[in-house]
Amino acid sequence: MSKTLFGLLLRTLVVLAGTAFLTFALLWNAPGDPAAAIAMARFDALLSQEVIDQVREEVGLNTSFWPAFWSWLGPLLCFDFGNSAVTGRPVWPDLWGAMTYTFPLAFAGLMIGLGVALPLAIFAAKRPGRLSDRIAVAIASLGAAIPAYWLGLLLILLFAVQLGWLPAMGARTPAHAILPALTLGLGVAASLTRIIRSGILEARGQAFLPAIQRRGVPEAAIGRDHIAPHAAIPVITVFGLELAFLLEGAVLVEVIFGRPGLGTFLVSAIAARDFPQVQAVVLLTALVFVVSNLIIDLLYRLIDPRIGERDA
Amino acid sequence: MRSVLILAVFFALLIVFGAALAPHDPNALNIPKRLSPPSTEFLLGTDALGRDVLSRLLHGARWSLGLAFVVSLISLAIGTCAGLIAAQGGKIADWVMMRVTDTFLAFPELVAAVVIAGLLGAGTWSLIFALSLTGWMRFARVARGTGLSVKTRGYVVQAQLAGMPAWSIARWHYLPALLPSLTVVWTGAFARAILGISALGFLGFGVQPPNPEWGSMLLDARVHMRSTPLLMIWPGLVVVTCVLAINLSGDALRDAIAKDA
Amino acid sequence: MLTVDTIAVKRGSKLALQNIAFTLAAGKTLAVVGESGAGKSTLIAAILGFLKPIQGQIAWSGQPVRSCRPALVMQEPRAAFNPVLPLRRSVLEPVVAAGQSVPEARIKRLCDGLEIKEEILERRPNEVSIGQAQRVGILRALIAAPPLVLFDEPLSALDAVTQKHTARLIRDLQAEEGFAALIVTHDLGYAVAHSDEIAVLRAGQIEEISTPQQFVTAPKAGYCQALRDAAIALGGLEAAA
Repeated sequence: MSKTLFGLLLRTLVVLAGTAFLTFALLWNAPGDPAAAIAMARFDALLSQEVIDQVREEVGLNTSFWPAFWSWLGPLLCFDFGNSAVTGRPVWPDLWGAMTYTFPLAFAGLMIGLGVALPLAIFAAKRPGRLSDRIAVAIASLGAAIPAYWLGLLLILLFAVQLGWLPAMGARTPAHAILPALTLGLGVAASLTRIIRSGILEARGQAFLPAIQRRGVPEAAIGRDHIAPHAAIPVITVFGLELAFLLEGAVLVEVIFGRPGLGTFLVSAIAARDFPQVQAVVLLTALVFVVSNLIIDLLYRLIDPRIGERDA
Repeated sequence: MRSVLILAVFFALLIVFGAALAPHDPNALNIPKRLSPPSTEFLLGTDALGRDVLSRLLHGARWSLGLAFVVSLISLAIGTCAGLIAAQGGKIADWVMMRVTDTFLAFPELVAAVVIAGLLGAGTWSLIFALSLTGWMRFARVARGTGLSVKTRGYVVQAQLAGMPAWSIARWHYLPALLPSLTVVWTGAFARAILGISALGFLGFGVQPPNPEWGSMLLDARVHMRSTPLLMIWPGLVVVTCVLAINLSGDALRDAIAKDA
Repeated sequence: MLTVDTIAVKRGSKLALQNIAFTLAAGKTLAVVGESGAGKSTLIAAILGFLKPIQGQIAWSGQPVRSCRPALVMQEPRAAFNPVLPLRRSVLEPVVAAGQSVPEARIKRLCDGLEIKEEILERRPNEVSIGQAQRVGILRALIAAPPLVLFDEPLSALDAVTQKHTARLIRDLQAEEGFAALIVTHDLGYAVAHSDEIAVLRAGQIEEISTPQQFVTAPKAGYCQALRDAAIALGGLEAAA
């Protein structure tokens, strides 16, 4: 057990190091002269070579790959993402500010997703193969095929433009968050419904259930004690996957609805070729994903001790 | 398998011949008739520059579906190679390869694709590069899993014992075992590539105007949401239809395989 | 001649075989018996070169065993054939790999000896019976006339009648072809009836190597004796005893 736990931690560490390396390498090898782009963004004019070289030295682009990588990685371990190449301000406060918009949105999306998916999945799994099941599955399939940006536009069209009930753009009031959260949540609900449904069906197919039923254990107790734990494993897995979906969905949704947050932060950072900012966003999303996967792996072992023993 | 085949043929025909069915030049400007509603001349109406929406959608298949097809095949090739190296190369190669896969998986697909395409500069090649680089990991996992199970099967051991050349073992013993599961993954990859291409197009990092790509058509249409909401409906509807059809046939294929096993 | 010279083989971190030493001459049959987990399959994997011994040597007349193109008959007859290809393609693999032309006359003669119709070679593995599949497996093993054939529980997937029949066919073909046979089995009756020597394997070590006669009449005290007595009690050694 302790050996596999060690392996798990080692794996996580290697993957984290890999993400840092990939992120840095990608931006380092991006075509074009980043120094010139930064100088452009900063002074908003065509500039002489001296100014560009000065910028290059200032933001640490004048060394070779490895020294630059190490001098970037060191502070990173203390959550210091460096200074914005454009404004010169530290990246972290701005990034944190963006996150305070994105994380609540993602959380609201997840809650809406669960609120829609859980009843729908239970309803579908009640009579598998019957009309109610087919309709629920069809809705979920349709939902999975609708791109978030189109759903967002449709919701704006319906609720903001046609009905005029809700505001569409910006983030001034809590009401502004309703449509973005709904866009995100319905997308999450589509995939969650399918997974929860098949999780319930699989759990119900367990060989020992008929024996328990015959002994006269009440339905509600069977559902709580025997079906729910078995359905939990796939659901936990999906949370890991949904997290990625939520993050990238949030990026799109923020752009559609003109909300501040990681998405708009990222898109404007890319446009300005502000490398430290782009690196910070990419690395942060990867970090969230890796750490949550680690937590999920640990949760598996809590629910089903056999898992830790199996993957040696 | 058959449903996927029929669908693939249909999409291939749409990609190759869709443009020939277009009633108008997709880039012909007709300012006097801009934003006109559906009519017998323009079956789905015209856009802000008076271009025929139907013709643009049909020509767009070449971009949206064609590029997605290319992307999914490149992902398939990279992923299968990586997975088979992991399955065949021994313990160390396996561990390293799977950590590389995990590392790539750690980046949310679309975020990574936006960053790559954005930094390389918008354009078709950076789009293909970005989406292939973020789309191969599932293939690698499945190819590794199947590869590991095939490796120990009796007929593979027998072929090795007989001294069959490696390419022959790969062609006749590995490929038939890999094909069904890889096809299922491929349908998913194809659908995701369509969504990814249109998402990047919508964000302005994808196929560049005036080329009629569905996502960028949506971006254009967004401005005219109040006056001409229909303009925004069509491209989305086409994307949803394609993705739904691919996903459903992928599901059918997976169920058929599960029943076989 | 197959020479196994005091080998030790590891599986994972465990020592699966140690101090294994024996020889097997052309035309002779060695039966390796033992319970499951005794290391029988590991021994086959080691002889065929799929596992490297950490000690000792395995050789066929001084050469690596694989150079004599040994053949293997597997326990699961159908799993030994690619499910999507006709049996003929799998059967011909040893010939194709060696770059020889298809020996039609030999196929016919072997099919006659194995009492199968040549037509079933056009079928796929799941379209023939287990017994037929096992005989096709023997056909594949013998097609390129190997000097050494390994049998890994060749009869255990078959029913009692087919078992007897197949055992006799193997014996007859060996008399004709003159290959050395190493038969791994947990079936003592089969080992006693059809081998020249019996090696008793237990927990990765050889307890005793003896002739079938010796094994039945005067086994080494302890494990081998207990094994024989159990087999007699179960009626497995009636023919030999």
